[in-house]
Amino acid sequence: MLLILCMNTMIENAKIWQALGEVMDPELPISILDMGLIYDVRTNQQNVEIDLTFTAIACPAMTMIIDDVREKLEALPGVSSAQVNVVWNPPWTKARLTMQGREVLQSLGIAV
Amino acid sequence: MLPPEKDAELRQKIANGFIVETEEDMTPGYKAALEVILTVQGDTELVSAPAYYFASKDAPTINSRLAVYAIIQDELGHANIAYRLLEDLGVSKQWLMYGRAPHEFKHPYGFDQALENWAEMVVANGFFDRAGITLLSDVHKNCSYGPWQRALTKVDREEVLHLRHGESWMKRLAKAGGAAKEALQRAVDWMFPVTLEWFGLPDHLKKHNDQLEYRLKGLTNDQLRQVWMSATVPLCESIGIRVPAHFDSDKKEYHIDYEFPVEYDAKEKRWLFDQPITWQQVFQRWKQRGPMNQTYINMIQGEKNGAFGGLNW
Repeated sequence: MLLILCMNTMIENAKIWQALGEVMDPELPISILDMGLIYDVRTNQQNVEIDLTFTAIACPAMTMIIDDVREKLEALPGVSSAQVNVVWNPPWTKARLTMQGREVLQSLGIAV
Repeated sequence: MLPPEKDAELRQKIANGFIVETEEDMTPGYKAALEVILTVQGDTELVSAPAYYFASKDAPTINSRLAVYAIIQDELGHANIAYRLLEDLGVSKQWLMYGRAPHEFKHPYGFDQALENWAEMVVANGFFDRAGITLLSDVHKNCSYGPWQRALTKVDREEVLHLRHGESWMKRLAKAGGAAKEALQRAVDWMFPVTLEWFGLPDHLKKHNDQLEYRLKGLTNDQLRQVWMSATVPLCESIGIRVPAHFDSDKKEYHIDYEFPVEYDAKEKRWLFDQPITWQQVFQRWKQRGPMNQTYINMIQGEKNGAFGGLNW
């Protein structure tokens, strides 16, 4: 019984990471996952909590990204609420970009 | 540069898909038309900066004000791209920035108006930046001048962000209702018609069109106006904001609900819909420039007694 519950949570987590991989940066064709903005995903029953950072404290797209994340997660079957915590520690650096993210940015002429 | 008598040949080559890369490929006519359209783009981007700056002071949160600053920075970058391309054609960037009097800048009349509150700020993003995207994505798709066409990849991406900023805030203000929605409606009331004019003379009045014949752009003024309305009219309708235009399902196009163009009271920022005028009168109004023309250009040029104190920094 306990094992089944754990399995359920694991599946939910995977789905959430997958959904986050579909949330795009509002300006560049790169997902927020490939940007390395997601620090943690926690689930509790039907509630999801995300720790997320931004590349800069003056990021102009903060509201848009938070709105997109919440909308995406709340549309998932079995999710009733999604909370987004903005965290600044550890600070984002280019090292957090995935390989795929790096390739996208380079193809747009952005040095990484 | 090619001699003027090669003009017809160049137009033909362009019609067959030729991409102009350097001055050697151009005739004087092509170069002159290119300089005009690039100057309009650069000036429009440039003057949006002071206009947005004033409006940003009314931002509801620090983050939303920062978002406008980021937009301003993008716009200045876009102006730099256009001026940089003009520099390659022998036009001095120094002169473009500092050598011209305020009335000599070629931005549209809409950017000679004061943006006085947050609602006007976000409608500027939703309407003016939408106009910018409409014009520039056409250039990006169709333009015969290679260096400009390529430079617009970055510009287009950034303009999409500005647009989204505008549209999401327009939705938010409409949803809030009350005073917020009323301010939004007031902004739309003057900013919708001013953007309709932005696309210029209707096709049936236009006798010749170098910009189209040299394929500096691909769509006509009326086509571009339709593209713009096809985005802005449904957006406003979906959030309960009135606009003086609707979709005519018989003709399958957007229809302007007044005798376009009409008289404008710039001081009151109010359109006098029952007073139709000619396009000659519109051009006259544009030529006289609007109320903020001097202030905005002074800010950019750092005029000594201007808004930014010029060299007194």
